[in-house]
Amino acid sequence: MKRKIPVIITSLVGTVLILSVFFPPAERMGEDFSIFFDIIAVFAFFLGGGNLVRIHGNKIYKKARDWGFSAVTLAGFFLMLAAGLFKIANPGGIAADVTAQGSLFQMLYDWIFNPLGASMYALLAFYVASASYRAFRAKNKEATILLIAAFIILLGRTPLGVYATAWIPEQFSLMQIPNLAIWIMTAPNLAGQRAIMIGIALGVISMSLRLILGVERTYLGTDNE
Amino acid sequence: MEIFGTWLAAFFTLGIISFLYRDNAWYKLCESIFVGISAGYWFVTLFWDNIHGLFWERITERHDYWLLIGASLGLMMLLRLIPPIGWISRWPLSFVVGATAGLYIINYFASNVMVQVENTLMPLFSAKFGDPLFSASPYSIVGNIVVAAGTFTGLVYFFFSKEHKGAFGGMAKIGIWTIMITFGASFGYTVMSRMSLLIGRMDFIFGDWLGLIR
Amino acid sequence: MKNVPISYPTFFIILPLLIILNSALTAQPEVTPIDSAAALIPRNITAKDFKYDRGETIELNWKPADRVNQEMLDGYEVYRAEESSDSFVSIGFTGPDVTRFKDNGVVSEKRYRYRVAAIVGDVPYLSEATPPASPTMELVNFNLANLFIIGCLIAGAVTYFIGHARRGKKLFIRKIAGLEAIDEAIGRATEMGRPILFVPGINDMDDVQTIAGITLLGRVAKVVADYDIKINMPVSRSIVMTTARETIKEAYMGAGRPDAYNDDMVRYITDEQFGYVAAVDGIMVREKPATCFYLGAFYAESLILAETGNSIGAIQIAGTAQPAQLPFFVAACDYTLIGEELFAASAYLSNEPKQLGSLKGQDVGKLLAMVVIIVGVVAATISQSWNIAFFTRLYDLMIKLFTVQN
Repeated sequence: MKRKIPVIITSLVGTVLILSVFFPPAERMGEDFSIFFDIIAVFAFFLGGGNLVRIHGNKIYKKARDWGFSAVTLAGFFLMLAAGLFKIANPGGIAADVTAQGSLFQMLYDWIFNPLGASMYALLAFYVASASYRAFRAKNKEATILLIAAFIILLGRTPLGVYATAWIPEQFSLMQIPNLAIWIMTAPNLAGQRAIMIGIALGVISMSLRLILGVERTYLGTDNE
Repeated sequence: MEIFGTWLAAFFTLGIISFLYRDNAWYKLCESIFVGISAGYWFVTLFWDNIHGLFWERITERHDYWLLIGASLGLMMLLRLIPPIGWISRWPLSFVVGATAGLYIINYFASNVMVQVENTLMPLFSAKFGDPLFSASPYSIVGNIVVAAGTFTGLVYFFFSKEHKGAFGGMAKIGIWTIMITFGASFGYTVMSRMSLLIGRMDFIFGDWLGLIR
Repeated sequence: MKNVPISYPTFFIILPLLIILNSALTAQPEVTPIDSAAALIPRNITAKDFKYDRGETIELNWKPADRVNQEMLDGYEVYRAEESSDSFVSIGFTGPDVTRFKDNGVVSEKRYRYRVAAIVGDVPYLSEATPPASPTMELVNFNLANLFIIGCLIAGAVTYFIGHARRGKKLFIRKIAGLEAIDEAIGRATEMGRPILFVPGINDMDDVQTIAGITLLGRVAKVVADYDIKINMPVSRSIVMTTARETIKEAYMGAGRPDAYNDDMVRYITDEQFGYVAAVDGIMVREKPATCFYLGAFYAESLILAETGNSIGAIQIAGTAQPAQLPFFVAACDYTLIGEELFAASAYLSNEPKQLGSLKGQDVGKLLAMVVIIVGVVAATISQSWNIAFFTRLYDLMIKLFTVQN
């Protein structure tokens, strides 16, 4: 019973949502689901947030290694909660939008959250350089192909690519790097994208059917049969 | 106040970048603050947008009582905290998984299988005088052939029920090469945009903060 | 410089000349003369219910006036009034080359009339009102009949092969390198006595990639429980946290070691993408896992994670269906499950016949796509080159079968 009901719910909800697409009176069900999901996600946050508080609280309590940083995490968490839920220093008071300019919540966002996020994102510039270096030591034929294609596309987007191959005569214009880059983007790149996309869709269909038919139940924490 | 904010932002920017050298206390501090602040940020946003805006206001103002089903599913999720009836928390989870499976089947099937196959069904060339395709350059004709053949062999690569041997294996090989060109193209295309992210942060450090560039 | 006196008669000659010269310089390009306003009014306007919807749309079509010159036309404006009223209100604007409009602002079963105006230099040339039209709701969307038929074919193949395998028929599935490497990667963590890191992506359980990641976690956790290795799973979504805990717990119970399971194996970090990445990077450099799995939905963080993993010398196995992130995983990880392989992985690793059957079923889908591509491309090329009726019909049929109408 404990294991059958969840499988029945999955099958029923999945089947109904597939069929809903073909019946106009029911076609909004997908949107309704996302509203339900948004509501469930907030309730679930009590579990996630609770876990955050418990793990860091435990570290502080046991004076474990780096417990000071856990204290900082919890302080940041509760500060943001208080600033947002009670709309502290919000010029429009409790009725105003939580992100109103001048509110503590927005200030914490602008001064802390935003620069931290942008800097983390900017690290990608360094990582993309080290990954390029790794690709440069192409281990096999596939990696070499990846590298050559990447190199042509990269050069094709820079003035260097234009100057380097401008001498090639017009009848072999495809060999000029900017043209070659465009050709790669519109021919082999497109073909690869399509094969990947069709493959992904078939994988999704098969996986979803395994879930709806109850063949795949790992997510329930139950083993098959 | 504005200057204080800029200094604070600079402090965090440099703290994160210091990770490239090695893990250090400055980075740990930034990381801890980021985790705490952002977890709080998302809870506040979810609370005001979903619970207050989507749920409470719609129930009280528009009387959309069917949203109570969503709230009951959410409450069931919390039953995990009461071990004897914790198993009920699987119901909302099954609901989410079933709905996701149902929605994804149709969306992916329509947008990835149908549309992509339809777009591939194109003439490769034309032998009819006066047809625009008749006067197409050899490059674009080769391009058309590569699109059709590349898509075909790419699908051969993903075939699971036949060993990649002989002619079939050869096609699978061409397929994976096509896929690798796709990856390379995507990689090369992204490099520049990633560099601009760093330029953005450097602009903040040397411009907004240090005032060295304007 | 001395002032040059200008006499009044000279002034009266120069002024008109200046005016003529000025108007000649700023004159508009020549415009086709309009015989009358009627020559611009759009013709044959039809308003009818948009088929196979919830009764919320009326579709309008018209033809441009015979003598209208598109270059002088700014576009068309559409007006609507309820049947009983004569006050037409503007509801939208289209470009000069568009002669179709979908009105989504109507209420089912109410009756509406429409007028369409050709706009030339801010002047509307209004048509007569259409006869009343009313939006109605249809019960079945026959526009999607092709989607239904081909969908049934593929889904039928998957279901058939699942049943086929259930009845004990043997099915062949080739070896998938990235998946064969999973056991090896876990074995390495055992030898080195270091933990395994499992990252299920940054999306929630409403993404099928996350579900695929969790099903793979189930397979990985089984081996982890058998070998008694430490698994560390930081997550960015609360629902993923609870699901992952259930999954790992079950694996430990299956291995007969429920006591070794600990809820803290899975911990929530934050919903924020880069906050989560900052923390996972920290975990990587401090705990130095021997093996890292990245299986699920990834965005820009894919490369940050994979490169950090590289810097600590971990074996890395990645899998995602985000085409834009696959190149980075391919460049930085030891094995990458490309798109479809991520979804096939859990079925493959389960080694259960019925799961493997589903892989055979999805191959039927691929075969169908491949056949259609070959036949369609050949038919299109022959039809384009030599106008042979049979191939033209075949090509049209295929396009019709694979066109999704909204």
